[in-house]
Amino acid sequence: MAVKRYIFALTLATLLAPSVTSEGQAINQERDKYTLFTMPYNMRPLTLYRGELQVYAGYKFAVRTQSYNSDGDVVQLKNTGTGSVYHYYFVDLKYGVTSFLELAAETNLIRRGIRSESASYIATTLTSTDRISVNKLTEVKGLGDILLMASVRPPIQYRWFDFSVTGGMFLPSSKYEPKQPTNSVVTSSTAANSYTINYHYNYTNGYGVVVYLLSASAKMSVKKFSAEADWTFKTPQKEGKNIRWEETLVDKAFSYYDKTYQYLLSDAYTLNTSLHYQATGWFDINLNGSFEKTNGGWTEYWGNKYTNPETRLVTLEPGFELQISPKLTIYQVAGFPLKGKNSDAPFYLFTTIKFSNFPFLR
Amino acid sequence: MNISFHIKKLIIIYLILSYAEAAVCQTEKQLLPADIKQQTLVTEPVTLKKGFFRAGTLFNYRIADKYFTDSGKKEYYVTSTWGSTTSYNLTLQYGISDRFQVDLITEYMYTLIENQSTETDAATNISRVVEAKHKGLGLGDTHVSFKYQLMQESKRKVSLTGIFNVSLPTGEKNPTNIKDANQYDLPVGDGTYAAELDFFARSIIYPYSFTGFLGYRYNFEGKKITNTTDMLERKFRYGNHLEGGLSANLLLNEWIVLANELNFYHEGKGEIDNTVTPGMPASWALSYSPGLVFQVKKFRLGESVKVPLKGKNVPADPLYVMMIQYVF
Repeated sequence: MAVKRYIFALTLATLLAPSVTSEGQAINQERDKYTLFTMPYNMRPLTLYRGELQVYAGYKFAVRTQSYNSDGDVVQLKNTGTGSVYHYYFVDLKYGVTSFLELAAETNLIRRGIRSESASYIATTLTSTDRISVNKLTEVKGLGDILLMASVRPPIQYRWFDFSVTGGMFLPSSKYEPKQPTNSVVTSSTAANSYTINYHYNYTNGYGVVVYLLSASAKMSVKKFSAEADWTFKTPQKEGKNIRWEETLVDKAFSYYDKTYQYLLSDAYTLNTSLHYQATGWFDINLNGSFEKTNGGWTEYWGNKYTNPETRLVTLEPGFELQISPKLTIYQVAGFPLKGKNSDAPFYLFTTIKFSNFPFLR
Repeated sequence: MNISFHIKKLIIIYLILSYAEAAVCQTEKQLLPADIKQQTLVTEPVTLKKGFFRAGTLFNYRIADKYFTDSGKKEYYVTSTWGSTTSYNLTLQYGISDRFQVDLITEYMYTLIENQSTETDAATNISRVVEAKHKGLGLGDTHVSFKYQLMQESKRKVSLTGIFNVSLPTGEKNPTNIKDANQYDLPVGDGTYAAELDFFARSIIYPYSFTGFLGYRYNFEGKKITNTTDMLERKFRYGNHLEGGLSANLLLNEWIVLANELNFYHEGKGEIDNTVTPGMPASWALSYSPGLVFQVKKFRLGESVKVPLKGKNVPADPLYVMMIQYVF
């Protein structure tokens, strides 16, 4: 009998000894947070968990070597020297109020310069050759509007299917009126009547009016594979007013005045469809197809309203999501334009870092 | 009674052993050669261990969009010109001893400059399109480096490494395939020998590593065609190059490193026919390079962006770098 008691005690000690060690190393709540931080894409719902805060910081470097004309044909911009690059930065703040309601705020900064084809005008006389060269640069620089969003999803645990609806608005917080041009005239040091005119237009970033956003997303996962689709619609609240700078060149000196004009932004539609493969718990590779379209809207020129051209762009975006630590995740996407109309066709690399935390959960 | 005493002893011994096992786990792991080959940018030795061989390739890409003027102002290129530079470096590194490493670096260059403008004759109102296309394609210059650990690294101490680098002008130095002033192929090499001496100091404070470096390159005189209209080879010499930098690398997890580097360089005025020329002015740049380096077993993959912050007479565009390395 005593032997049985001791065998029982030994068995109990055997079972308890490692469990004391392992339990002693973890706090339940911390482990839960860790589980939520490291939840793979194929097991995550479309919105954040309750109390979760995410901060995204991203940078997109786009190389605009070609564009699509109104017939959908490719125009090689780099061959004419009018290719350009643009730098786009964005920050996004998201918070899970509950596990089925998420609030978000987002803004961006853009920097790009578009060169037009240079032109020269030559006047040859018996004694000299005078040349007037003209260069034109259109610069876009500045902070974008602030986008506020709220997303809801069904209050059920995500298993294999999810959907969400997002509503939001762009607040016209940015300085959308263009700054006065900084044109210049550079006189030739070798020929008195030869000079170069550099037109430099300074545009800003922002809509100038409230723009509403409505979006719907759906997601489905089967084992390590997932598919996600989202559709987004943006429309302006009302017509807007802006200024357009006019210039006069007299005796190699520019004078400027501005004129007010009205505009109505085009409606914009975006459809994204992506396929994901969760290679391991911390690495997801994906292929996204994006279709963007704008139509409607008009812009006033000299008292007349001209319809904005309809634009279309189809882009293929292979990418990945890499969890580098429980709180840090990196996303990278490369964009390849496939088809379009009245649109730039940039190749781009978009890198985003995400920081997650549960600020109010100990 | 006797049996129960023995069982009690057994239980006590077992419990002691089960905790002793955990204590044994705290001992320092002995690194095998296979482990050393998998060390990250933060934890690896400054030079390769004896007999280790590392091969790698670097992909560099930059587009000409903005530049720092002579007064240090960042401006766009205003004429309708598209320029890009791509280079593929092949790097071979070998550890001759645990303190001495030799590197061989060569590169394949692809430079493109395209320009188009319209010229209109004011008298006849006839316009013509002027196109210029320059392409530089081919094997560039070669660099041989000898690295020696002057002071070896130990825990929380600083290592000091001296590097002697020789640049060999193996790339084509002259423009080729010249059709006219607007149509020719660009050179892909500097056309001159150069000698460089660098010193690197590094300290590891896990999970960080900090590096400071200072280097000076002396460019020797060379001869090449500097003007495509007269096709004459002239004597030239690039200004000497002083470079320094600070870097702080952080292990984000066991196999990913967040790399940060602040770099400064100054290059003196260049000369053609022993005369200072406006085409080769003195220049300097201060740049910041953030990057991520992934250590996957013996493979190392990295990407970084070198962003010029300030400068004078230098490009102001980011340089994209992708890297793949493997240790044999």
